[in-house]
Amino acid sequence: MSGASLERGINALKEQIDAPTATFFSACVHCGMCAEACLFFTETGDPKYTPIHKLEPMRKVWHQEYTFWGKFARILGLSKPLTDAELTEWETLVYDSCTLCGRCSMVCPVGNDIAYMIRKMREGMAASGHAPAGMIGATRRAVTIGSPMGVKLPALEAQIRHTEEEIGFAIPVDVVGAEYLCTLSSMEIMNFPEYIGAIARIFHETGVSWTISSEAFEATNSGIQIGVSDIAAELVERIVRAAEKLKVKAVISPECGHAYTAIRWEGPNLIGRPYPFKVFHILEVLDDLRKTGKLHTTGKESRRLTYHDPCQISRRGGVFEQPRNLLNMVAENFVEMPENGIMNWCCGAGGGVSANERADELKMKAFRRKKAQLDAVAPDAVVSACANCRIQLEEGLEVNNMDIPVISLTETIAEHLAGETSTEARQS
Amino acid sequence: MTEIRNDTEFRQKLESLDHARQRILAARFVENVLPFCNDERVSRIVKIASDPHASADELATALRTAKAAIIDSHARCGAECDWKDQAGYFVARAAAAAVSPAGQSAGGPAWQAAMGSRMAATCRSIDSTEDNAGQAKMQQYLILSEFLTS
Amino acid sequence: MTETEFLLWARGPAFQGATVIFVLGVTFRLLEILLLGRKPNLAEPRGSAMLGGLRTIVTRSFPDAGTHKRSAFTHYMGYIFHIGFFITLLLYAPHILVIEKAFGVSWPALPTTVVDATAVITMIALIAVLLHRLKDPVLRFLSNFQDYFAWFLTILPLLTGYIAFHRVGLPPPALIAIHILSVELLMVVFPFTKLMHAFTLFMARWYNGAIAGYKGVNS
Repeated sequence: MSGASLERGINALKEQIDAPTATFFSACVHCGMCAEACLFFTETGDPKYTPIHKLEPMRKVWHQEYTFWGKFARILGLSKPLTDAELTEWETLVYDSCTLCGRCSMVCPVGNDIAYMIRKMREGMAASGHAPAGMIGATRRAVTIGSPMGVKLPALEAQIRHTEEEIGFAIPVDVVGAEYLCTLSSMEIMNFPEYIGAIARIFHETGVSWTISSEAFEATNSGIQIGVSDIAAELVERIVRAAEKLKVKAVISPECGHAYTAIRWEGPNLIGRPYPFKVFHILEVLDDLRKTGKLHTTGKESRRLTYHDPCQISRRGGVFEQPRNLLNMVAENFVEMPENGIMNWCCGAGGGVSANERADELKMKAFRRKKAQLDAVAPDAVVSACANCRIQLEEGLEVNNMDIPVISLTETIAEHLAGETSTEARQS
Repeated sequence: MTEIRNDTEFRQKLESLDHARQRILAARFVENVLPFCNDERVSRIVKIASDPHASADELATALRTAKAAIIDSHARCGAECDWKDQAGYFVARAAAAAVSPAGQSAGGPAWQAAMGSRMAATCRSIDSTEDNAGQAKMQQYLILSEFLTS
Repeated sequence: MTETEFLLWARGPAFQGATVIFVLGVTFRLLEILLLGRKPNLAEPRGSAMLGGLRTIVTRSFPDAGTHKRSAFTHYMGYIFHIGFFITLLLYAPHILVIEKAFGVSWPALPTTVVDATAVITMIALIAVLLHRLKDPVLRFLSNFQDYFAWFLTILPLLTGYIAFHRVGLPPPALIAIHILSVELLMVVFPFTKLMHAFTLFMARWYNGAIAGYKGVNS
């Protein structure tokens, strides 16, 4: 992020353009269908939020660098090269009005994976110094402190101590040879530390051996969101080192969307080698415990529940059946949103948008899409599996005077645990 | 005065109380950590929770206010954390637990309020040398003891 | 140059030239794309990229209900003019003869009246699509010269073919020559416009489906 310049930005864009990217740009017929898939467009009506339009600077670079007539025109001085002013203009389009939710990628009739390209475009934006201030700060803290919110080990230890008191047994830290290494998002540590208690109780009850690493507890990856692959790689590398040091079989990503994308799908490609361990989202692990008969729950929620699919977990992550399997264990009145699973709508806050104060107003406008879904379902509570989605849902519901509690799927499972660590057992 | 020695006893006794009494007790737990919270709405909520004659409407309004206070005080994604501010968030959560209707808080409103208050104290301990968390627990045992004998 | 010489030139050297440019142009454009390459994926796959890619090539032609509702006009009109265009191109007897002469394969034609009606419907759909592009805020915002030029290149063969068939205005040889030239214009410009989507859409859908399929998602 230091030494940002237009030249570095253009070079970064050039480096990012691969065969899929060039294919996508060649195939776009300007049909406009991607706009109707994007909540930033549907809730504002502003055509500039059309997903493919957000990529215009990158398309220009592709055309001028990698196509015959484009290069020809550039060399002859017949076309204008990309300017810093254009990148400035595009900053809000690329960062404020896109959560990398990928719904556009599902809808484009010619098959363009627009979110794939936006992720690449951010590399150029960041290298040219056009990333939002809030995200730059978060990334800096992630690199220097180990958490984008500046959460240091003593703070985590305090939360762990509190949790241990609450649940009545110890939480494993730095245990060599544990089966799973659990990472946490700073948002969870700060706002929803009960997640730690929830997984502790579930693992205690199901006999799963796990640990937290004092050297790499942060799951989120600001590098992915801002678009600086070097930083993203460094953040992944920390977890990999810890996992190798503790000789775990798998790393578990917590209830956070982009953390999963970072460690599960981008990670090995960022660091340039496959992992010597597996990676799972917590929901995958819980569903596996259900499938193997280890997870026993008792009682069912009678409230009308619906599920908000975090985009990076469902559509972009592939974990969409597991939450439903788990919910059906503990809910007798689970209703799907009108568009659900991999076609669910984004909450409006992912991909760094919630870390970007400038995007606050737009984020709340975008939320109206989720509001419309909730109005249609009229649930008593909405369940999700991402701390960031949770905050956005809570804020959005509050702003719209809707009294619908937002609950975590993992915590709900923990609340219904049968056995020694069950809620009833703890009460007696 | 019944002496409470550990959290198992603490929790057992809390959960043996009826909802209305738990609310009063919860209010006292939150009151104990009110100095950690800057939001004056929360002190008003505690007053309502402490009132044995508070109506269902008043409690419902207080709960809505508590939820708003929670949302206003949570840590922003990606923002630099301030554990002192975060203490206020947990005080608001404890206050919300205190005025929640029956059956909505796992373990009961008093236990939730106690945990939230302790978390608030924990937050205050982070980045400081005081052991607010340990003190908060002991104070809660005392508050419960006094409450049970009164 | 007489009309007959003009027609012979349009059907002969000009057509050959246009074909060469078309084939070389398309090949060149595809190579330009493919030679950029793609990094291998080192993450552990959950599903099959190959099956995902093949699946999406087909399924992306059929949007889900919610998407269809929001883009019904684009969806319907798009299909009408594409299908109509291909019917007039491939199921009209004189066109099939040209293909047979060039490649040795042929197939049954549709009755000429049906093709004639199809051409009209296609042109109406194309006009509707143009009006939509001019009126709709998103399309108006996105559209550039290339979009309108590609539209023009597409409707021109239909229009000139229709006029040639109905022998309006000029002697038939001249009309046919103009029609063939309009096709040649389309062929020559095709590789350098968004019309390349005729080829690249299969690749794009493939990549999309492969990327998603790798993660166990049907895109």
